[in-house]
Amino acid sequence: MSVLRNRNANHQAVRRQQLGGSSILANIIRAASVLLLLVAMRTPSLSAQGLDPAALLQKQATDTWPTYNGDYSGKRFSPLDQINVDNVNQLTLAWIYRTHGQAIKASSLEVNGILYFTVPDNVYAIDARFGQPIWHFERKVSGDHIGHRGVAMLKDKLYFTTSDAHLLCLNAKDGKLIWDVVLTDDKLGYFATMAPLVIRDHIIAGVSGDSTDIRGVLTSVDPDTGKVQWRWYTEPDPGQPGSETWPDTDSLLHGGGMTWMTGTYDPELNLLYWGTGNPNPVLVGDRRLGDNLYTCSIVALNPDTGKLQWAFQPSPHDLHDWDAVQTPVLFDEAYKGKQRKLLAQASRNGFYFLLDRTTGEHLATSEFIDQTWASGVDKKGRPIAKPEATPSPDGALVEPGSDGATNWMSPSFDPQTGLFYVMARRIISVYYRTVEGQVEGWGGRDRNLYMDSTLRALDYRTGKIVWNHELGEGEDTAGILTTAGHLLFTADHLNNLLALDPATGNTLWHLNVGDHVVAGPMTYELTGRQYIIVPVGDTMYAFSLPEKTDAKKK
Amino acid sequence: MNRSSKSKSLVALLAGTSLALAIVATAAARRPQEQQKPATAAAPAAAPNPPKPLKKQRRPPPAADATVERGHTQFTASCGFCHGADATGARGPDLLRSPIVAHDVKGNMIGDVVHNGRPDKGMPALPLTDDQIADIAAYLHWRIAEGLSSSEVPQGYPAEKLLTGNAQAGKAFFEGPGGCTNCHSATGDLANVSGKYSAVDLEAQMLYPEGKFKSAKVTLASGAVVEGALQHLDEFSVSVTDANGWYHAYPRNEVKVEVTDKLAAHRALLDKLTQKQMHDLFAYVHTLEKEEGQ
Repeated sequence: MSVLRNRNANHQAVRRQQLGGSSILANIIRAASVLLLLVAMRTPSLSAQGLDPAALLQKQATDTWPTYNGDYSGKRFSPLDQINVDNVNQLTLAWIYRTHGQAIKASSLEVNGILYFTVPDNVYAIDARFGQPIWHFERKVSGDHIGHRGVAMLKDKLYFTTSDAHLLCLNAKDGKLIWDVVLTDDKLGYFATMAPLVIRDHIIAGVSGDSTDIRGVLTSVDPDTGKVQWRWYTEPDPGQPGSETWPDTDSLLHGGGMTWMTGTYDPELNLLYWGTGNPNPVLVGDRRLGDNLYTCSIVALNPDTGKLQWAFQPSPHDLHDWDAVQTPVLFDEAYKGKQRKLLAQASRNGFYFLLDRTTGEHLATSEFIDQTWASGVDKKGRPIAKPEATPSPDGALVEPGSDGATNWMSPSFDPQTGLFYVMARRIISVYYRTVEGQVEGWGGRDRNLYMDSTLRALDYRTGKIVWNHELGEGEDTAGILTTAGHLLFTADHLNNLLALDPATGNTLWHLNVGDHVVAGPMTYELTGRQYIIVPVGDTMYAFSLPEKTDAKKK
Repeated sequence: MNRSSKSKSLVALLAGTSLALAIVATAAARRPQEQQKPATAAAPAAAPNPPKPLKKQRRPPPAADATVERGHTQFTASCGFCHGADATGARGPDLLRSPIVAHDVKGNMIGDVVHNGRPDKGMPALPLTDDQIADIAAYLHWRIAEGLSSSEVPQGYPAEKLLTGNAQAGKAFFEGPGGCTNCHSATGDLANVSGKYSAVDLEAQMLYPEGKFKSAKVTLASGAVVEGALQHLDEFSVSVTDANGWYHAYPRNEVKVEVTDKLAAHRALLDKLTQKQMHDLFAYVHTLEKEEGQ
């Protein structure tokens, strides 16, 4: 730092000489130098490349976005406010980067000026200031290529899940493969799309795949060797608590419950929170009578052992493919006059759930969008399914459709407004049970009749809708970012990127970007400039405020 | 369970419009952003609008060749007693969920199990030839592929499965509380409608027809009015195609927009329809093929 200070002092002296020592100018220059110094202090030194594990514990980092959701809480709230409610109308393009590949559904990581993002089979590292490519890793495999959510990082290593359900470790400097381990057997129908979560020396990865009747699992591996540390299975072992919610061992061991999405973590409680997928067979429950724990559940695990601490089930005995993998968002706020450690999920089945995340105690359940499948809520806070909403050979008209009232698109919690934001969809669908006899995998399908989307701001305490911003017909798939600049970034389903006022839902800025957004926006600051990153199709867009022109500098 | 419909600002045009005439926008208009040139197809479409594709038809059902047929016969004779005639398990396990079958290539893993049996689990060794085992393997692999595709709703989904309702009750609903006759006639626009679609598509068309059914009246600051088929509407812009087929676009904050949605009544009905009403209505609409020629 002393070198920098000397350099700035020299710079200041030279400037003063050039400008003839005017005291007003000197003051201005002095102020500018201090600013320069502050900027320099925020610039990482060359020796500090890689991701310091401590950065993962930062509650509100500004110069980095080190994990899928930006931090462990899953709030997707950034304390950056350079881009704010007063200047967002000046937002302009900083750079774009095209992969010429599959649509980007990932949230980028940003660490020390480098963005890391993915599509299936591919990892990209690009310059976060200028959008220049650094390296590209490709490993073509079979398996489902539905989409990919991103990588995890620890020190100088990246962790990438694959379509054949492997976990790869890459060198963050050059993208070279360090190791490759099998998470689950792809021949049985497993694949992976999620961004792993790093907790100390645990790399925690989930898997996907509900076309076949396989058992959901979460795996923790050693960051250096890839050796398995623990596995937690969505279905308990036969005879263990929860196994009584399945009719027999065969249904239990083929019960599904994939761990599709990245979880969240509370370092103080040392609890890992994860949402689990729908049970198998899908849409038909004949072979799995019972609640089917812990499918369609929010579970709290010890990240060192994989032991279950508590669980809450948004959709008992699901018959509509409504997984509960939506981000369990963590925040500390008042509830009934008392400060509480809370967890909220806007679930795919159309209901918002508020829990105490220390104990799993249920606090609130409410609908965040129209639904026709539940007749009420039971004493545990779980929706009660109507028998007539069961998929049938002659079709059952149900809202929401299987694509869900929301889905993988990231929600956000803004501590400045105290509001929870969710991308909500009205999907009206007919569910057909098509398979006769013994059901394997999927027992039917639904058909969308009508779809539209709306962004909703919920009172976190009750789930009550505070404001509603309609986003047009169709299934909107954009995630949400809120910032301390009193801004909410998302996209409508008519190709407009939007900046809204998070307190009111009013539109402050928009841009027709020509395609749907199928990922969540993220943000970071580099050398004093805040960037907003949004992938659209195969193109990464970086927005920022206009750079000071040379004319203004003089 | 309160519903909030965004269509409340839309003016429903309920009187005397035939379904065929309502289809003023062609399939191309489903991508409104591409409508930058004069739309020459503003006239009513000649053919019925193709319905929304059925979801997730990713895996076509596999064809069963002679090997599969032989394997099926052999399986039924040698294995079906324990593993079920369709291999989904009986006294023995469900082979479609078996990791051994999942990893098998042309019998290379199944063969060991068949030849050696699994005495610990009560399965005897079976004296089958390698060819017979390869046939059985082909059958099991085909069954797994079939299982992955059997959940799709095919175009040929049998009408009988959908016809669980009461056509008389459906007719009463159509003419009464359903409000269908506000726009439709069983002997007019819907005569022979049943013959135009597969059964499963007919049900979808009945509930919420595919296509663009919105028109807009745009009043400019000058007081001038432009009316036509709605091409695009978001928070920021509105565009319509006028009666001459020309495209016009305006910023929303400079004009007044009134949208007429001919599907508003369908949308409202989706919120109210019970399963029984839906099935009764379908049973009735399905009869409308027979009305022709009477």
